[in-house]
Amino acid sequence: MTEVHVIGVGMTPFQRAAREDLAGLAREAALLALRDAGLPPAEVGGGFFANVLGPQLTGEMTAGQFVMATVGVRRVPIVNVENACTSGSTALWLAVNGIRSGEFDVALVIGAEKMSVPGLGLLHGGSAEIETQLGLVMPASFALRAIRYQHEFGATERQLAEVAVKNRRHAAHNPLAQFRDPVTLEQVLASPLIADPITRLQCCPMADGAAAAVLASGRVARSRQRAVRVDAAVLCTGSYENPADLVRWETDRRGCQMAYERAGIGPQDLDVVECHDAFTIAEILHTESMGLCGPGEGVRLVEEGATALGGRIPVNVSGGLLSRGHPLAATGCAQLVEIVQQLRGEAGARQVEGARVGLAECMGGDQSADAKSCTAIVVSR
Amino acid sequence: MKNELPPFAPGIFRLNGAGTPPVLLGSRCPDCGRHCFPACDLCPDCLGTPASVELGSSGRIYSHTVVRTKPPLGLPAPYAVGYVDLVDCGLRVFALLDPAQIGRFSIGLPVRLAVAALGNDGHGEPRLRPYFTADLA
Repeated sequence: MTEVHVIGVGMTPFQRAAREDLAGLAREAALLALRDAGLPPAEVGGGFFANVLGPQLTGEMTAGQFVMATVGVRRVPIVNVENACTSGSTALWLAVNGIRSGEFDVALVIGAEKMSVPGLGLLHGGSAEIETQLGLVMPASFALRAIRYQHEFGATERQLAEVAVKNRRHAAHNPLAQFRDPVTLEQVLASPLIADPITRLQCCPMADGAAAAVLASGRVARSRQRAVRVDAAVLCTGSYENPADLVRWETDRRGCQMAYERAGIGPQDLDVVECHDAFTIAEILHTESMGLCGPGEGVRLVEEGATALGGRIPVNVSGGLLSRGHPLAATGCAQLVEIVQQLRGEAGARQVEGARVGLAECMGGDQSADAKSCTAIVVSR
Repeated sequence: MKNELPPFAPGIFRLNGAGTPPVLLGSRCPDCGRHCFPACDLCPDCLGTPASVELGSSGRIYSHTVVRTKPPLGLPAPYAVGYVDLVDCGLRVFALLDPAQIGRFSIGLPVRLAVAALGNDGHGEPRLRPYFTADLA
């Protein structure tokens, strides 16, 4: 099978109320990725543009073709992608499969979101759904997992809050993260309750931002010293089993397991992980789903420092969604940007020493106590 | 209880007369036995044609939380929600919990269905919504 490599990455700062509009943010990330790849845009054979809220907020369609044209990508197939929080990683999955199929040798993937707009409330899974009509908002969905997790494993609120402290400590070394000041456990716990037991500092903030990657076939990547190989790119969908187990996330486990099998590795082979820490409890559940520890052991992993920079398996050294902020469609691409920089040894003060194998895990959408979409991407160097 | 108000959505619950609790409505596929809430007209497992069934009034709390952000749809601030395991059919359903009982919910607590004016239709018109309440001492 055709090998696929990441040969260029780029990312804008993630921040509230960015000056640039959606297209401006997307263009900036795309230019950084193309320059990082050192590749003229005429070489790009396919484009994938991920964005969630644009059509809803502005009524604009096919933003991808517009943005790609501004960075010299025309004539080739371009697809606009929406898959909630996994939009960016779904666009990467499409690009990987397009290259593997031989459809093109080089693809440009952009994930971009502009969400600092007045009146955008809490996000939900769809206004027509009964759950939404009964008051299911995203923080409640994860608070329900947290309460159940505490009940089954005896975890404390302090243990959950440790995730926010760790990821903020990481973000101090990431100049593109929205929040870079350290927070104490007391500050996290004392911030306002959003949905019991989740406090504000345990929820990812909104952000505007964009991230991009240039992917290429082995043939194009061969001579490139900084190329990072994609060993597995998995996209899967919720099973919506009822009753659903809120603390052993079947969809998450299935996605990660499939990625390990395809990459021919196990969780013990990972050096660095970015996962979808939209809330503190989410990172705990994901570390367990990824097999970094057993069910109920995720809180201890954080407490012992295993998932901190310098620990056994650092998780979210970028600061994660909790510190970067979560510009929906940009997140999946930003995770890959981080892992690629780590594997190249270009992550500066947050470098995981000797990182060779990384995993980016992302989930999106909310339906019937399950995620609608899950991606797991394994890369190595 | 202002039962003259319209429900927030059709086909979710049935109000019974005084002395009889309201019931949740759903469907059951005669071919594969799968229950659905809310009711579906096509079985998502075997594409059979489900029949409408009552899913009962009683359940146990599987998990619960109190939402303290600005509530959507005119729900009370704060409001409580949870997942409830229905006794009769085994489905785990997302549901509102009695806002008057905030702070008193626990996992495993037996609850029963009630219906009252709770929140609106998104345009400010009050609507009936089902919620689970506990018979607390």
